[in-house]
Amino acid sequence: MTDIGLGGRTRLDRDRLLRLLQDYGVHLGVAVLLLVNIAITPHFLSAENFRTQAVQVAPVLIVALGMALAIGSEGVDLSVGSVMALSTSLLSLYLGYGMWIALLVAVLGGAAVGVANGALIAYIGVQPIVATLALMVAGRGLAQVLLPQLKDVHDPTMASLGSGDLLGIPYLVLIAVALALLVAFVVRRTTFGRQLLAIGDSRPAAKLAGLPVRRVLILVYVCSGALAAIAGVLATARLTASDPTSLGNLMELSAITAVVVGGTPLSGGRVRIGGTVAGAVLIQLLTATLIKHDLPPSWTQIAQAVVIILAVYAARERGRR
Amino acid sequence: MKPNIFLRRTSGRTQGRASASTLLAVGLAAGLALAATGCAKSEDDKSGDSDGSKSSAAEGDAGQVVSSPGAGGGKSCVIGDYGAKKLDLKSATVGFSQSEKEANPFRIAETASMKAEAGKRGVKLLTANAQSQFSKQISDVQDLIAKGADLLVIAPLNSDGWEPVLRQAKAKHIPIVTIDRKINAAACKDYVSFIGSDFVEQGRRAADRMIAATGGKGEVAILLGAAGNNVTTDRTKGFEEQIEKKAPDLKVVFKQTGEFAREKGQQVTEQLIQSKPGIDGIYAENDEMGLGAVGALKGAGKKAGDVKIVTIDGTKNAVRGIVDGWIDGVIESNPRFGPLAFQTLDTFTKGGKVAQDIVIKDSAYTKDNAESDLGKAY
Amino acid sequence: MLPVTGSGAPPVAGPAMLSVSGLGKSFPGVRALDGVDFTARAGEVHALIGENGAGKSTLIKVLTGVYKAGEGEVRYDGSAVRFATPLQAQHAGISTIYQEVNLVPLMSVARNLFLGREPRGRLGLIDFRRMHREAQEALRGLGVRVDVRRPLRELGVGAQQMVALARAVSVDARVVIMDEPTSSLEPREVATLFGVIRMLRGRGIAVIYVSHRLDELYEVCDTVTVLRDGKAVHTGPIAELDRLRLVALMLGREIGDVREEGLTKFSGNHDTEAQPVLEATGLTVRHQLDGVSLTIRPGEVVGLGGLLGSGRSETAKAIAGALPPDSGRVVIAGVPVRTGSTPAAIRAGVSLLPEDRKAEGIVPGLSVRENIALAALPGLSRFGLVDEARIDRVVDTFMKRLRIKASGPHQKVGELSGGNQQKVLLARWLAMNPKVLLLDEPTRGIDVGAKAEVQKLIDELADDGLGVLLISSDMEELIEGSDRVVVLKDGAVVEELTGDAVTEDRLMRAIAAAPAAQATTPATSGGDDD
Repeated sequence: MTDIGLGGRTRLDRDRLLRLLQDYGVHLGVAVLLLVNIAITPHFLSAENFRTQAVQVAPVLIVALGMALAIGSEGVDLSVGSVMALSTSLLSLYLGYGMWIALLVAVLGGAAVGVANGALIAYIGVQPIVATLALMVAGRGLAQVLLPQLKDVHDPTMASLGSGDLLGIPYLVLIAVALALLVAFVVRRTTFGRQLLAIGDSRPAAKLAGLPVRRVLILVYVCSGALAAIAGVLATARLTASDPTSLGNLMELSAITAVVVGGTPLSGGRVRIGGTVAGAVLIQLLTATLIKHDLPPSWTQIAQAVVIILAVYAARERGRR
Repeated sequence: MKPNIFLRRTSGRTQGRASASTLLAVGLAAGLALAATGCAKSEDDKSGDSDGSKSSAAEGDAGQVVSSPGAGGGKSCVIGDYGAKKLDLKSATVGFSQSEKEANPFRIAETASMKAEAGKRGVKLLTANAQSQFSKQISDVQDLIAKGADLLVIAPLNSDGWEPVLRQAKAKHIPIVTIDRKINAAACKDYVSFIGSDFVEQGRRAADRMIAATGGKGEVAILLGAAGNNVTTDRTKGFEEQIEKKAPDLKVVFKQTGEFAREKGQQVTEQLIQSKPGIDGIYAENDEMGLGAVGALKGAGKKAGDVKIVTIDGTKNAVRGIVDGWIDGVIESNPRFGPLAFQTLDTFTKGGKVAQDIVIKDSAYTKDNAESDLGKAY
Repeated sequence: MLPVTGSGAPPVAGPAMLSVSGLGKSFPGVRALDGVDFTARAGEVHALIGENGAGKSTLIKVLTGVYKAGEGEVRYDGSAVRFATPLQAQHAGISTIYQEVNLVPLMSVARNLFLGREPRGRLGLIDFRRMHREAQEALRGLGVRVDVRRPLRELGVGAQQMVALARAVSVDARVVIMDEPTSSLEPREVATLFGVIRMLRGRGIAVIYVSHRLDELYEVCDTVTVLRDGKAVHTGPIAELDRLRLVALMLGREIGDVREEGLTKFSGNHDTEAQPVLEATGLTVRHQLDGVSLTIRPGEVVGLGGLLGSGRSETAKAIAGALPPDSGRVVIAGVPVRTGSTPAAIRAGVSLLPEDRKAEGIVPGLSVRENIALAALPGLSRFGLVDEARIDRVVDTFMKRLRIKASGPHQKVGELSGGNQQKVLLARWLAMNPKVLLLDEPTRGIDVGAKAEVQKLIDELADDGLGVLLISSDMEELIEGSDRVVVLKDGAVVEELTGDAVTEDRLMRAIAAAPAAQATTPATSGGDDD
């Protein structure tokens, strides 16, 4: 009666090995890339280099955290790149009041896009990919209306946010780590996190169990929007310029890649924050390796494609379990 | 409230539809409100000094000069060959079709220059912007023709796909001048002339600048533009050929794309200076990537002048970079097509001879003239 | 309208058009069809009936080429055939009309009628005038008057069904299969449909008619085949089979059997004196429920009887807020509840164990622990943070009390057996302290031992003062488990059995009862007017 649904002991061991590889393959990938680079890339083992990689990955990671929530709810958020652009535009427009006010406005703007996404999905029943695609187009357009061209940021607080550090660790990295911990905590420990996973796994069951499905879905996209807006602010701080035309371009794809490579299934019901962090780092290291060795840019794309295919293949195995 | 209307139409079965549209409207309205309200206050409101770019375009002192006026070998065109009728430019209507959004300094300066020159000459100018959509540009031009443009100036988004428009213009005997990019058609038959820069030449001159800055020795990196773009290909080709010819000791050791964007330029340069700390020079195929490289060098604790940077375009920010000592040279790609375009049309409609390919003379900024010519940068 | 032949006219059945013999079909773990013999004759309307899982849809899919026969033979027009695809069957002359219309909504009515075989004029172009004229005629023949140039989607569902029918008929079909064709039709449209069916019969076409509505069967069919558990248990003229007998055949019960006691773990009677804990009044959902009212008192198990499609699950869902009713009221313990809202119903104390446990009940990827705590989560949290210790206590309590067998609270629910999944769902709801428990087929698909356990649990819960609504296709379970049985038919309450009247016999008579207006069919043998 209490059959576990698996075969004999040897099958079990093999399955467990396979599952381990699927769950921790991305960490293994990061380790392998690190070792390879230490071996073949000159000047790789330096604090400065790790700092560079960490700073570059921070915005992608923050966006990927929100994306992981959206994907965990069996959705996706394509509007994140545009939200970054919108955030940088708003930031630039309100910087006259000081950084904190501007930051607040930018994050509110991102959250507002999230409300729109969530409402379309939860109330109107538009598919997430379509709803967020609409906001992706609209968000970028709005960003460019607000700020038609690149504009330099002179605010000293912004500059120090972008390049300053605490005990040798850049603010950007500290913020990204803090947000990753926060999101992991939310997923594991809060009612919202639990409900999100249930909704992602089986929406009809969640509905019949009386979960506030719509409220949770809206909150998911608000989180995603707010996180993307924060990433937009940080990217602006690093660049010391607001560039709504190109900031966040293709960011949605990088974020989805990080999440998927990190082992979060696209079918929802599961969110792996640790994996997402590793996924973002993996892609960053891969790109860095290819750039440092001056391989043609198209190689980077091909390498990313291979990683995605491997990740999806692993997910397929997981699904058949 | 446009979003509301949209919603009402698409919303269907769900009973929460009223509250949904409210929610969505609130969401979008909040975003719009943030935007549209007058309470926005950007940094520069305090100083208000960076508006120079707009006024300088109107000055016209940096208007283009033909690099080889009526030069040998270049074919020319007269009105009889093209099959149009003479007319007086002053009483004519000129239509201008811009290709990309005026979101970067080049396009802004280009459109502003056209408008300024039309104003100066007292010519009626109709403008349209294709927002980087080719289909929109086609219909833009058709609109301009329908609105009664006697002459057309087009900044094409693509080189191909212009046949229907050209045929329409031909039927009405409307002379066309294309600027900054060429279209694939017969000059003096389908259109009159092309006015633009020679991107390969820009690359060569950037190489000259780099050789001078580095003394012709050492290792340099190239920040490529967007892949599959003729500007990228030409600027790379000119640079590499010139380096090979003039300074065989200068090696190109790194070529990665920064996609013409500052952020990408910065990221790639960060990787570069990690793995090749001894790099002597960086050639950025546009100013934005060059400024990104400056940001990366600053972040890595380098000092101005440690790595020689040469860029192409001539935007104000880049020229200021020369003044600050971070950038070594900027090769100009002059966007102020207004004077030359109208001059060409004027000559042509009066029955004069105009060249089919008019290559403009781009100037350059170095330490010697950066400060004094900062006003000319766009 | 057509000249309608009286239903009493004895049909002259022609030769066998489509038949199967010894048909068997298995799916992993299920024997869907087992040695079925079935013959549809020309000029005959043949009813095919059976409860859930009896094998009707499998049989139809074999007949129409969707599935291949496992064992046995399919004969069409005198020779053995094997249709590889539905299209082959269609070309051979077997037309199927499904519940959902499968036409092209954006094309005109005429285009839909002639799709793929448009009349051609010179140069091979479509002759629209001829097409429109013929379409108009074909539809007029079915008593439908619409502009055939209009897009199909502008028509009502009933008219669309008629177009589908016209198409099926006009392709020179020799066998027409109708799967629940009346489920979304208005009474007037049903009358038209029956007229068409009689006309088809007059033309010598074999009609296979699938429906749960007994009245319809008696009105329009000549012959009936009853399927049960993958076997054809009866075939014969419908006029010779009274309704009670028909219901008994479908449910697999004998009339007048001495009822054996103790087949289930139900102990029987509960106190029925207290104020009702649930009062549902006039629940109506278009095409599904027609003014269903029922009450449940604390400590009472009320059974909901009826055939498949009678509106049992819909009633439960409407009470639980999962199916928004067009009208009707639900009152829980004296307090009216907003209908159409699951959270509101749950807050009021209503819990629903849905029929489709796997799709609508459990969250398969989450652990036993998370599944149990799911609905009660807000109550087990403080400031939005989950109180893990309290959850552990609750989960531990219920896993013990309901004897849930799992490797531990962290095992995924998807890996448990059906019975234990059901217990997890029960635990989820009991953690909410409900007042009313709606159980839709709580023991379907779980093994015998677990079944007895679940039945015992239901009894215990009623003893603890819960009001229980029990839906079950298992007659024994329903009779022995319920204190009262409310009988549904075509979405309406037809009878309520109380006390000693809760017997299989009475239940089957109630289900089989003909509508009062139609006294022609000899079905009820009196005694049901209490």
